[in-house]
Amino acid sequence: MVTLTVVLQTVLIVALAPLWNGVVARLKARLQMRRGAPVLQGYRDLFRLAGKETVLSEQASPLARVAPYLLVGAAVTICAWTPVVTTSPGLAFAGDLVMTVALLAAMRVLLALLALEAGTTFGGMGASRHLALSALAEPALMLAVFTLALNARSTNLAAISAAVQASPHAWISPSHLLALTAVWIVVVSETGRVPVDNPATHLELTMIHEGMLLDLSGHHLALVEWATAVRQLVLLTLVANLFLPWGIAGSLAPAALGLALLAWLGKLLGFAVVVALTESLTAKMRLFRVPEFLGMAFLLSLIALTSDTLLGK
Amino acid sequence: MSLTGLDGAWIAGAVWGLAAATLLPALAALAPALPDALRHRVPRALAAAACGVAAIAGARALAGAAPPPLAWWPGFPGEPFTLAGDALSAPFLLLFGLVGAASFAAHRPNGTPRGAAARLSLHAGFGLALLAVLAAQHVLLFLIAWEAMTLLSAALVAHETQSLRARSATYVYLALSHAGAACIALALFTLSAKANSFRFDALAAAYSNLPAPEAARLAWWFTAGFAVKLGLLPLHVWLPLAHPEAPGPVSAMLSGVMVKAGLYGLLRFAWQMPGAPPAGWGTVLVVAGIASAIAGALYAAVEPDAKRLLAWSTVKNAGVIALATGLSALLADAGQLALAGVAMAAALYHAVGHGLAKALAFLSVGEAVHAGGSRHLDRLGGLANRMPRVSLAALVATLSLCALPALPCFAGEWLVYQSLMLGYTAGAGQLRLLAPFAGAALALATALAVAALVKLYGIAFLGRPRTEAAAAAHDAPRGTGLVLLSFAALPVLWGLAAPWMARSLAAPLGALLPGFDASSLAGPAGLMLLPESSGGSSIAPAVVALLAGLFALIAFLWLRAAHGGRRPVRRAPSWTCGAPVDARAQYTALGLTKPLRLVFEPVLRARREVEVLEEGSPYFARRLRYRSALPAVFEQWLYRPFVQAVLWTSERIRGLQAGSLHLYLAYLLATLVALLLWAR
Repeated sequence: MVTLTVVLQTVLIVALAPLWNGVVARLKARLQMRRGAPVLQGYRDLFRLAGKETVLSEQASPLARVAPYLLVGAAVTICAWTPVVTTSPGLAFAGDLVMTVALLAAMRVLLALLALEAGTTFGGMGASRHLALSALAEPALMLAVFTLALNARSTNLAAISAAVQASPHAWISPSHLLALTAVWIVVVSETGRVPVDNPATHLELTMIHEGMLLDLSGHHLALVEWATAVRQLVLLTLVANLFLPWGIAGSLAPAALGLALLAWLGKLLGFAVVVALTESLTAKMRLFRVPEFLGMAFLLSLIALTSDTLLGK
Repeated sequence: MSLTGLDGAWIAGAVWGLAAATLLPALAALAPALPDALRHRVPRALAAAACGVAAIAGARALAGAAPPPLAWWPGFPGEPFTLAGDALSAPFLLLFGLVGAASFAAHRPNGTPRGAAARLSLHAGFGLALLAVLAAQHVLLFLIAWEAMTLLSAALVAHETQSLRARSATYVYLALSHAGAACIALALFTLSAKANSFRFDALAAAYSNLPAPEAARLAWWFTAGFAVKLGLLPLHVWLPLAHPEAPGPVSAMLSGVMVKAGLYGLLRFAWQMPGAPPAGWGTVLVVAGIASAIAGALYAAVEPDAKRLLAWSTVKNAGVIALATGLSALLADAGQLALAGVAMAAALYHAVGHGLAKALAFLSVGEAVHAGGSRHLDRLGGLANRMPRVSLAALVATLSLCALPALPCFAGEWLVYQSLMLGYTAGAGQLRLLAPFAGAALALATALAVAALVKLYGIAFLGRPRTEAAAAAHDAPRGTGLVLLSFAALPVLWGLAAPWMARSLAAPLGALLPGFDASSLAGPAGLMLLPESSGGSSIAPAVVALLAGLFALIAFLWLRAAHGGRRPVRRAPSWTCGAPVDARAQYTALGLTKPLRLVFEPVLRARREVEVLEEGSPYFARRLRYRSALPAVFEQWLYRPFVQAVLWTSERIRGLQAGSLHLYLAYLLATLVALLLWAR
């Protein structure tokens, strides 16, 4: 049963990953009084890309042919211990918070190296910005979740989720709220959303993520896009189930699991609404304002981490 | 086990092998009639084999073998010079042996035959001194070896005597190392006077019987001396200057092993001998470690020189090791033995893991720099397609140093996070205050190091060659390539088998923290790195690697099945918006981390000047000159006033030396009178 839930949770994230982008795009379109593309457009794009011819730069080294698969491997591996519908440990012995952040860093390294393969300006531009922003975002993510880990006395993600759920008033504490704010900023940055990046643009002055993918095509591009979508959904799931763990099943009873699934989908929909509203209401920041924004996340999470000591708890 | 009988012989074999390798090239240079193989191939193979034997000695000592010490000399004051691998030196001996074997196997003769012979002889002598430092059980032998290690490595750093940069690096290196060695010698001689012996065991007995303030004072002297070798802030200034100047295989030993000899000295003389480190020691090491980790990573991220970038990354990792060591001292002080053991396991595991990864990095980048003709990243590029063997080794080293999961630098940091978190919740003294900052610093340093290493591999090995020399680069000879690739397996193995490796550190952990049970570091399945009393946090690097590989394979097979066979990939020029493809359109090393440089501008204080040489129109200059430099902050603010004071004083003193015989006779007379008056 445990194996089944692990497989089920992994398949859920991997399968639903492109959907979330579709939902956000649709919501945004409605807010802008457009009809917008169908929600399933993301899947169509991916399958179309996978069927197309793959063109690789003459400069690319053998790494360019392996890296897309490794990216998918790293992204899906995180799902193996991410609590999606249940806090039952599953494969939690293999990975925890630190391992999750390290795998996210692995994806960042592979993506940046992939961007530098072709030897073009766009790749370098994307890699340069991505490296700088992640260098601030990832420590903030680590610290924000660490705040919760301190209370749970464990870096095991399922244990953290269960611990937050077990103490009903923990979420109203200043450290929790500060950490939640910090982690949301990180998620916005890591998923390349407004106001940090704009997923819909191909304008070289502004793009970060798209710049890195510019020389990819065919099934390589499909793999990388899918891996990034999985990473995005994993991050959102972490926010949903670590910081707002209501509804997640503590047992493997089918009724509890069903309820947890609904709760998870509801939280994801809520996030989609928040993101769509943010993207419609705010403009993208100037690139060099973003480090301040992320620096704020870093400081917020550091304050969250120390606030327990400062408040004398 | 039949090996037991040999235990005493391993170290002897290693010592004699390295000694022979030191002397052979020198002899062969003096006697031209000798066969050519004796000049290079034989001594090199001998040195590599001797290092392999030292690695076996280290592994045996880790497994608990305690051979009788090797008495070598009838002795200075009646005591023999003794060499032995004990529990504490075991992991360091193992690291030395593994790195040394690869370093000698990858050593290649360049330049004139005499120069090549001298370099090999110095290299082997340096190896011998390093081995003696790690195995010495006698004060004088230790000091001689320590000094020989410094001098021989300085000679290798200065091997390019024409280069002003190399000469000034050697000077800074020697000055700081000798300041450190003076501290160590002072403390060691004080201690042997108290013990009335030069043997380490007698020293340890006397040390632990000293009154606390006196023992603490000695421990601080030792700490100051060894912190120089470890490269902790603010004593690190020599490291990024000296390490890159030596040839690749020597840099590998400098950064991989010699820095760890500093850690060995710290643990031996400031912790094991007095029984416990002095009060406040942990805090100082944690703070210095935090500062070194962040500064090392930050300067690595903005460094355009390939080998100096790696040297800065060594400063970062030395910081992490010091942080873990200090943490362990704080936790032991607070009575949290299990957590102190976790932190110390992190320090030792990371010391070996980083040593292996950094040695691989210096070996492979050294080859690349040699082939590409420049150390500057902006003069390299596109080497991955030209040097596939070296590039693969460099990629493994890069990913390892990025602390990616299942590779050697990750599990150590994980252990540090665990001991930080659990130490914080256990409420151990200053840890309540230090732990959040230490965690933040570690996370930030790791993220910055990732940017630095991606820059190293991405700019030097990927993309398009930036110069003709880089375009004409050839892969290293098959033999060297094979050495690099087989050595690359070691760090990967150290990372994948992290739980077993951490558990195998039981002997040194027991020597430092008696009563700590190292088997609590791994779970029942042997797969988990599981500190006791951690609320169930665990990682299994091998399982994670397996899962990632499995999922990548599923993606591969699925795509293949969907397409009905192998998917063709067409090669085409890179897309540059229709403009002609030009290597200069690529990002430079400076440009790639420019955003980071701007973000950390208040700390880095970069200088830049833009000068318009030729005006085209009021808005567009035709030619510009752009200069930018990072000021050496520590040299300027910390060392320059001191150096200036020394220079000023010597300038004044020089006035006394007028060169007149009468004046000197007058000095003599004055001194004599003063002495007579004083002794009256």
